[in-house]
Amino acid sequence: MKKSFLGKRRPISGDMSLQITSMADIFIIILVFLLKSFSSGAMAMSPSQGTRLPQAETQDLGAEALKIEISETVVQVEGKPAVNLAAFRFQKTDLQANGSSKALNQILEVERKRQILIAKANSDVKVDAKVIVMADERAPYATVKSVLASAALNGYTDFKLAVVKGE
Amino acid sequence: MSGAIQHEGGPKGSASQDFDLNLAPIIDAMVVLIAFMLASASYIAIGVLDAGVSAAGAEAVNATPPSVTVTIELAAANELILKVAGKSNSTTRIPASEGKPDHGELTRKVALLTGTWKDLNAVTLMAGDATEYREVIAAMEALRKSVPVVLLGGF
Repeated sequence: MKKSFLGKRRPISGDMSLQITSMADIFIIILVFLLKSFSSGAMAMSPSQGTRLPQAETQDLGAEALKIEISETVVQVEGKPAVNLAAFRFQKTDLQANGSSKALNQILEVERKRQILIAKANSDVKVDAKVIVMADERAPYATVKSVLASAALNGYTDFKLAVVKGE
Repeated sequence: MSGAIQHEGGPKGSASQDFDLNLAPIIDAMVVLIAFMLASASYIAIGVLDAGVSAAGAEAVNATPPSVTVTIELAAANELILKVAGKSNSTTRIPASEGKPDHGELTRKVALLTGTWKDLNAVTLMAGDATEYREVIAAMEALRKSVPVVLLGGF
């Protein structure tokens, strides 16, 4: 029998161990990257399902502030339902002569008082006029105006309109 | 990953013991954590547009009023109405271009005004009650190219 030019083959061992040290390294890098992304704030604010934010070229999301979200059926303050809407509109009985919403005013007043109490107790915390408004792009301007009027009446006058960053 | 422990002075004298750290449960935990984070992450980049409200707020920002006040109105049929009042008074109607508001023309006209009136640093944007929010944002985005502050009006 002709001998192979490759020489004698080594017998293949039945035991095989997967080299998982490098895999562990990769996973650690991915985990650190994801944790960093979470803490950077970009992911800290996300609209509810079904809410479509308008698109615009804009600056980064700034510091933390009170969040008001306007979706098709509800206005949420800090993620909690505050006022029910019907097809993006406030109920007529809820609207006041100055255009603000009665129910929303009450909730924003509580939020404002809470902020003032915290600021009194802790000198590092200042009363902030910032408010981030996340409104659905299909919302009528009348609803956005009512929300802004309610916020302004309760001392939130520095409006930040949340948008999806365009290219 | 391996390590070695040297036992000295034991009953059998010096003995070494090689061992491998079991990485499999660590990998399992990481796979679960990464899957959880990827599932709960949101991939849209959210930014903010600064907006003031015309006639809102306790204190006035600037004591001296500007030479002219500029108001832009989002009218029906995607028409834009540019109103200038003060030392100069005019009303310019910018018709829709291909069924959409002509933001390019609006930006050019406002840039001309800011070039003429150096103390003009804010414009007021007004819209009808039924105007969709996206149209307001689109107009704001266009205006911010030529003027630093856009105030929302109509309150």
